[in-house]
Amino acid sequence: MSDETSRDTLDSLLALHASSAESPGEAAWLDDLRSEGLAAFREQGVPTRRLEAWKGTNLGPLQAMRFGRVGPGASTSAPLSFPDAVEGRPELVFVDGAYDAARSRVAGLPSGCRLLPLAEAMREIPDRLRGRLGQLTDPKHQALDALQTAFLADGAVLLIERGTVLADPIRLRFLATGAEPRDDEESASAAAAFPRLLVVADEQSRATIHLSFESVGTAPGLTACVSELHLGPAARIDLVEVQAEDPERIHYSSVHARLERDARLDSHVFTLGRGLTRSEIEVTLVEPGAETRLRGFFLGRESGHVDHYTTVDHAADHCTSDEEYRGVLDGRSEGVFRGRVIVRPDAQKTDARQSNPNLLVSRNASVDSKPQLEIYADDVRASHGSTTGQLDADALFFLRSRGVGLAEARLLLTRAFARSIVFSIENESIRERIAEQVDESLASLEGDAPDIPSDRLSRQKAREKARRKGSERTQRGDAR
Amino acid sequence: MPEAPLIEIRNLHATAEDTPILNGIDLVIRAGEGHAIMGPNGSGKSTLSNVLVGKPGYEVTGGEVLFRGEDLIAMEPEIRAREGVFLAFQYTVEIPGVANNYFLRTAVNAMRTHRGEKELDAIDFLTRLKEKMKLVEMPDDMMSRAINEGFSGGEKKRNEILQMMLLEPSFCILDETDSGLDIDALRVVANGVNQMRSPDRGMLLITHYQRLLDYIIPDRVHVLSRGRIVRSGGKELALELEEKGYGWIEEGDAAGAPA
Repeated sequence: MSDETSRDTLDSLLALHASSAESPGEAAWLDDLRSEGLAAFREQGVPTRRLEAWKGTNLGPLQAMRFGRVGPGASTSAPLSFPDAVEGRPELVFVDGAYDAARSRVAGLPSGCRLLPLAEAMREIPDRLRGRLGQLTDPKHQALDALQTAFLADGAVLLIERGTVLADPIRLRFLATGAEPRDDEESASAAAAFPRLLVVADEQSRATIHLSFESVGTAPGLTACVSELHLGPAARIDLVEVQAEDPERIHYSSVHARLERDARLDSHVFTLGRGLTRSEIEVTLVEPGAETRLRGFFLGRESGHVDHYTTVDHAADHCTSDEEYRGVLDGRSEGVFRGRVIVRPDAQKTDARQSNPNLLVSRNASVDSKPQLEIYADDVRASHGSTTGQLDADALFFLRSRGVGLAEARLLLTRAFARSIVFSIENESIRERIAEQVDESLASLEGDAPDIPSDRLSRQKAREKARRKGSERTQRGDAR
Repeated sequence: MPEAPLIEIRNLHATAEDTPILNGIDLVIRAGEGHAIMGPNGSGKSTLSNVLVGKPGYEVTGGEVLFRGEDLIAMEPEIRAREGVFLAFQYTVEIPGVANNYFLRTAVNAMRTHRGEKELDAIDFLTRLKEKMKLVEMPDDMMSRAINEGFSGGEKKRNEILQMMLLEPSFCILDETDSGLDIDALRVVANGVNQMRSPDRGMLLITHYQRLLDYIIPDRVHVLSRGRIVRSGGKELALELEEKGYGWIEEGDAAGAPA
């Protein structure tokens, strides 16, 4: 076990794990999965900044937490309202990590599709999960995935058969109530939730999934969610994830996707919370023709810390990846963006694009953006760019010269910056809902950064073309 | 007795990035009057217009500007706009992600709120917008597009005039509004400006060329050189400049300046 992890934090997690109710009659491999997860987490401990992948984020606040169990009674006593549930649309609700049947609705799904809570799936159809659940994560090298796996208990499973198209989006809501742990342990004050999502989309199937993490109370805690998406040939999944949890909660979300021939994954991640967030996505393009479009918008406020760690692995030829994450940093917040793109030796004719423009709206906010291209094939097209700047002073002045007040002009421009990400969501109802949510979040910005004329904007620009072992190579214009 | 001036510029000195550009401008414009300022490149024409609307990067180092008797320089740019000062920019900005119609409604309502009037709802605003758009011959789809994004030079200028018509300022400054326009676009723009002329509105046209003044006839013409007005006259002065060029003004100015 790593010495770095505070004993108390680890002990509280282990005690919590030991007290987890065993499910009698469950398939043995499921318990093996948990045990492996636990062993891998004990081995690694909580990640520290000494690890390359965690250089930008200090999990100190996690080390200070003592975890206890939140009882099933605690969550239901809190008054929860769902004003924005859409009638007739499938929606699964999880309260403090556990499936809430009363608040969920599994309706409007076509035949050829199964949506069910993980706990039920593990009991009823374990064979359908075998070889899928736990296949895309690597607990030995991802400590928080290991921790989540150790606590594997509930979440959502979506199985879509060949050729099945889901017209309506599926909504998965994860609510943290902020209820105090009911443990006898006096010192335990933090509650943890470990939801898991498994999606198996067979050939030519299609679905849109809207994942949202919300809080209805304030309390320290941890949400660690692991998602595994298996996309069969020509399957298409649109994943929209919104993180808007309470600032005292640490949020970890890790998405792993595997795309077969001609499959397509569109992912949109919105990080709007005020606390410590680490959001990972890893997409592996394993067969030719696979395509992924990754979009993200993150907002840092107050003393929030937002870390996005993305990996696109081009493991086959003729695959496309297009990634754009935009950040707005206010207050004393810190933003971190790491974008790894790996192009394997056989992945010829790869087309990989990545960009990360950031807007610093306050003097004390900062952003640390690092694209990492590792290209081992020679016939590829790859580009990345990262810019960090302030609001365009010329645009700001123009709006003021037309009578728009300074605060409103700033807001207009900041919303416009976020809009290109929001507007690329294909599903209209989700797009509108998120546009509102993002606009609302941006309305609370304080912003004290000086306005800098666009021509004098201090800009860090990085343009990198096909690169191999550190040496610049010329771009192939006719790669596609 | 003449009416109180709309705008009164007294001995105005200003710098741009610490370089003195305006070296004592005196100019009085009354409601109903149209003035033109002409001058060679670098004489301070654009600096004057930018100083009047409070663009950052310019500093007033002396003199004063009274707008309806109030200290204009002390006002924030948005307050100047709400009080009725408008500049149609020579170079417009493109603002991706902000729709033209949304911006215009926000601006119109900021003005109305400032004047103590009720905000326009979407329908009333649209009616007014369509009417003005027709006057500047602007296609409908330009309104849902982002501000000036992908607009041609002529469309950008027409968009400036459209903003002026919607905001109904009492003092309009047009900075090189004719630059880059072909004759048809110039006619449309000039037509828009002429519609705006009224007994309670003042106009200041800034131009390098006399051509614009064939379409928008000024009451007074001033010649700017080295940050000062060196000659003033009627509209015939513009024709004289067109004929002789600016050389004689600069020479005369240099000769008349203290050694």
